[in-house]
Amino acid sequence: MSNADLELAVGAEPVARTQWQLFRRRFFKHRLAVVSLVILILITAACAFASRVAPYDISQLDLSLLGTVTGPSWKHWMGTTDSGVDQFSQILHAGQISLQIGFAVAVLSTLFGVAVGALSGFYGGALDKTISAFTDGFLVVPQLAILAVLLQYFGHSPRVIILVLAGLGWTYVARVSRGQVLSFKEKEFVEAARASGAGGPRIIVRHILPNMVGPIMVNLTLSVAGAVITESTLTFLGYGTQPPDTSWGLMLSQNEGAINDTAKLHLLLFPGLMLLIVVMCVNFLGDGLRDAFDPQATHSR
Amino acid sequence: MNNAVDTSLFAPSGPGGGNEAILEVRDLCVGFPSDDGILHAVDNVSFDLRANETMGIVGESGSGKSVTSMAILGLLPKYAKITGSVKFRGEEILGVRDKDLTAIRGAKIAMVFQDALTSLNPVFRVGDQIAEAVSVHRKCDRKELRERSLELLELVGIPNPVARLEQFPHEYSGGMRQRAMIAMAIANEPDILIADEPTTALDVTIQAQVLDVLERIRDRTSSSIMLITHDLGVVAGVADRVLVMYAGRQVEMATVDDLFYRGLHPYAQGLLASLPRLDRRGDSGQLSRIHGQPPSLVFLPPGCAFNPRCPHAQPGVCDQNVPLLREVERDHFSSCIRAEELVAKGSES
Repeated sequence: MSNADLELAVGAEPVARTQWQLFRRRFFKHRLAVVSLVILILITAACAFASRVAPYDISQLDLSLLGTVTGPSWKHWMGTTDSGVDQFSQILHAGQISLQIGFAVAVLSTLFGVAVGALSGFYGGALDKTISAFTDGFLVVPQLAILAVLLQYFGHSPRVIILVLAGLGWTYVARVSRGQVLSFKEKEFVEAARASGAGGPRIIVRHILPNMVGPIMVNLTLSVAGAVITESTLTFLGYGTQPPDTSWGLMLSQNEGAINDTAKLHLLLFPGLMLLIVVMCVNFLGDGLRDAFDPQATHSR
Repeated sequence: MNNAVDTSLFAPSGPGGGNEAILEVRDLCVGFPSDDGILHAVDNVSFDLRANETMGIVGESGSGKSVTSMAILGLLPKYAKITGSVKFRGEEILGVRDKDLTAIRGAKIAMVFQDALTSLNPVFRVGDQIAEAVSVHRKCDRKELRERSLELLELVGIPNPVARLEQFPHEYSGGMRQRAMIAMAIANEPDILIADEPTTALDVTIQAQVLDVLERIRDRTSSSIMLITHDLGVVAGVADRVLVMYAGRQVEMATVDDLFYRGLHPYAQGLLASLPRLDRRGDSGQLSRIHGQPPSLVFLPPGCAFNPRCPHAQPGVCDQNVPLLREVERDHFSSCIRAEELVAKGSES
């Protein structure tokens, strides 16, 4: 066999790209994901620096407006609330807590869930049985009730809410990643890794987990959306964030009566719209990341 | 099943002999529990792999070829019942802890799998996967790893190795994938390379190239190769000695020439006769075949497992005791009870 026959024609050689370059290329092809990322960054930044970005100080009431709800205007983009506070400013401050809870819960529950799920799926045996029984147990209990009871017991500060939501959220991630590991464990490349002398931890970390980055990313973004919504739901029901803290859910909850009053409808519209935008952007971002992490998604040309 | 083979049979002798055995397999039995009883996937297999030789293991699907190799590397699932002994350079490696085996796997005994596409990790560049195979056993910095990967890709004859290092498995062709697998397997210069049907998924020209790579590597690194295949043509081309398996048992073990020209076991003879040949044609113009089906590994027929299909089977003789592999001629082993009779008969006609 001569190598000369096999030599590619000049110019036909594939261009070597770094992993990061490939990832970026594939991600930027996904327009919706890029737009979503930009929107998310803008919203997150605006909320994070709310005290500087917000046009009004929400602790300073505009006494001339006290008691009179005004609709959106040039002066107050999203109108004012019952207590005469500029709603746009309030939404930015409330977003701080909503987003903080969303991201923190997603990261915590994903990290813990993937770790537990991977160990459970890979090693099997008694460990797997115990963990599976535990995570499956959460399927049959009413989650919202448990969350409400736990929050009632432990308090309502954002930190407690994060820990309680993550404490329940990891079971779902664990179940998904356990299934993934179970199927990858049987793949021949894992057997090949074993045959080349790799031990259990090395196989999990270096051979199996990189294959799961796509699904994990999707799960991570879904749990950001899930956590934001769950927090809103709990708060709406009176078990979540409590004043003086404020969140989008709390704003909805405080203004639930507005549904019957067209003059106050903007008080429900804008917090709801923010939730919708964030959840949608996070989901599109997840799609884009999943495709970008899959080396076979688009072939380099 | 406990009719042990006389181990003195395997004293090195004959062509290819004189070399020390680096792998000694004795009385290897592998059983899998099933609903109907124990499935005897490998039944009393004993052989030596000598230094710097290529040994072919031939047999049809389910004859225990792959299970034998997996048992050697300790890769079988925990529920498999394994008995016997496998010694690598005189040291027992059967049943030792996984932790101790990892030092041998890849470094001393490496394996090339059949389906290269599924055996390569789809999310890593081929270069990184080869580097990973190296770094399992050695601490190296990135630059060293890259150089070593490049050298290995060159060694297995991949064109444009620099560019190919950066590509993913799905950008490789079938033959290149298999070569990349071989590159990973030889990354730590193992003493033994177990190739489990390395050419089955490839077309014939690529097959020849891959076999060529295997031979070149054996000569270069003076390693031994255990070549598992069901392709007699492949065996004839590269193997020094051949072990023929049927229903988990050894039926014949001989040098390639002895097997092809003077096969002693009716099963091996039947296999060879069933190969299409350009220079010879049956009267009917049809290929000859072995009648019947391989037996269930749970319910093996009494006596010789091949006797229900054997044209030379004698009731009352072949269906009594499980025949043992024995040296019928020098360095030529057969498990057929009537081997001598058949040789005599063959030379008459």
